[in-house]
Amino acid sequence: MISLRKVWIVAERDIKMFLRYKFLLIMRAIWFISQIALFGLVVNHMFRVDVQAAVGGSYFNYYAAGIVITMLYSTTVFIGYDIYEEADHGVIEYLLSVPVSRKELVLGRSVGGGLRSFLYVGPMMLFVLYLIGVSNPLQLLVALLSLFLFTFGVAGFSITLAVSIKSSDRFDILMGVIDALIVRLSTTLYPIAYMPPYYRGIALINPLTFAADFFRWGAGLESAASVPPLLAALGIVAFFSIFTFLGVVLHERRLEGGGWQ
Amino acid sequence: MAVKPILTIVERDFKYFFRYKWWVAGMVSMNLADLFIMAIVYTRMVKPDVITDYFVFFAPGLTITALFAAAFMIGREINMEVRREISHYMLSLPVKRWELAIGRVLAGGLRGIIYMAPLLATTLGITYLYTGAFPAPLEFLTILAALFLVSLGTSGLSIALAVSTTSFEKYITARGVVYYLLFFCSTVFYPIGLIERALPQLTLLARYNPLSCGADLSRAFLLRSPPFSPYMLVDIALYALVFASLALFAYMKVTQK
Repeated sequence: MISLRKVWIVAERDIKMFLRYKFLLIMRAIWFISQIALFGLVVNHMFRVDVQAAVGGSYFNYYAAGIVITMLYSTTVFIGYDIYEEADHGVIEYLLSVPVSRKELVLGRSVGGGLRSFLYVGPMMLFVLYLIGVSNPLQLLVALLSLFLFTFGVAGFSITLAVSIKSSDRFDILMGVIDALIVRLSTTLYPIAYMPPYYRGIALINPLTFAADFFRWGAGLESAASVPPLLAALGIVAFFSIFTFLGVVLHERRLEGGGWQ
Repeated sequence: MAVKPILTIVERDFKYFFRYKWWVAGMVSMNLADLFIMAIVYTRMVKPDVITDYFVFFAPGLTITALFAAAFMIGREINMEVRREISHYMLSLPVKRWELAIGRVLAGGLRGIIYMAPLLATTLGITYLYTGAFPAPLEFLTILAALFLVSLGTSGLSIALAVSTTSFEKYITARGVVYYLLFFCSTVFYPIGLIERALPQLTLLARYNPLSCGADLSRAFLLRSPPFSPYMLVDIALYALVFASLALFAYMKVTQK
């Protein structure tokens, strides 16, 4: 039987740990600002009129909404790096000795990983929503709830990879490769209509596409969404379910026994 | 100061570089994703009067992104050495500190060039196929020299960053900040005219950004636009000199602690 209280204690610990990384949080905010204020503004002048129309009138707004999702993704993935830090400092053994079951531990970590990235990206998300101008608050609320599930799924995904690989170097480079592919083969940066046909198939089943399109739908950029909202929501639920389940199973089986590099 | 100990250090760092096959494979795939996914999609979206073919425009920029990633790897290793106090072992070697520091900075620069070589060949192939232009031997040597200097400067920058913190996460995050600020305020991804229109207050910074000079110098010989200007080489040489010197002093200071 899973105790929700214990799950929350684990999640709370992860949130507190995250908020201690002030330097990293400030630096990552600079990442966001430079992507929006430098790349976003310049690239906005580069695209044709039909592109601007296809993305809901302004590529800048489309891009800003997409960057929020990439930030949400990259911040949530951080939980995997935390696991390596803990392995490095012997904290994993300590965590295994506390009166919390493996299932509660990994669920707590997924929830904590998702919540803390939501807390962190929250102000940037509000700023982008202010730029776009929200037209339907209820629609936005539904989208934000789905994004919660998306972040839990990403945390589960990161934990799954971290405990499967057990090598910080390989994990770092694999996350870099996945990040490069998952972001570029999604609708976070550009709409599906402008992708060559051989990339469209992957983009249509990419969880970042679901999250970006659903967030845009919530923010009132419906015309910019490539995937219907219901399908995007189902995609996010499927992603969350698969990776939370995998995270729980692998965490239970592979956390013990050392072998961390 | 002897050359042989410096070469030994360079050789050691070189061998280490090729031990990280996973990293190299990962970096190549990241760089190729930029060219074969992002640039291809952008080509379908860009105004033709701004950039005729974004894929071809971006190809020379790819060498700079590749070079930057590879040259920054030396910083990652030095950061790890400082954290795990392997630098103490390095100090016990029969090599002077100056020689050790010069060897590390040089190795970082050379690793960038070696890693970038296949990507430069890809760029040459793409620009030749699309434009029919191929650089003359002297032009090609100028590109190589300029890229080596960019690599040397970047290696220096990464070492200076690496020794300023003992936290790996801080180093990785600071690398991200440097990457975004240097690349987005340069002509690697877009031409200077576009920066002038969108962010006029940053034009000067973007024009004299060494990454802009490196990318534009390559484009001058590979795409014949923008025109080559000697100031590009001077700018890149200054970047290399400043950051290589900074790295030498910072590395020596940290290893002396």
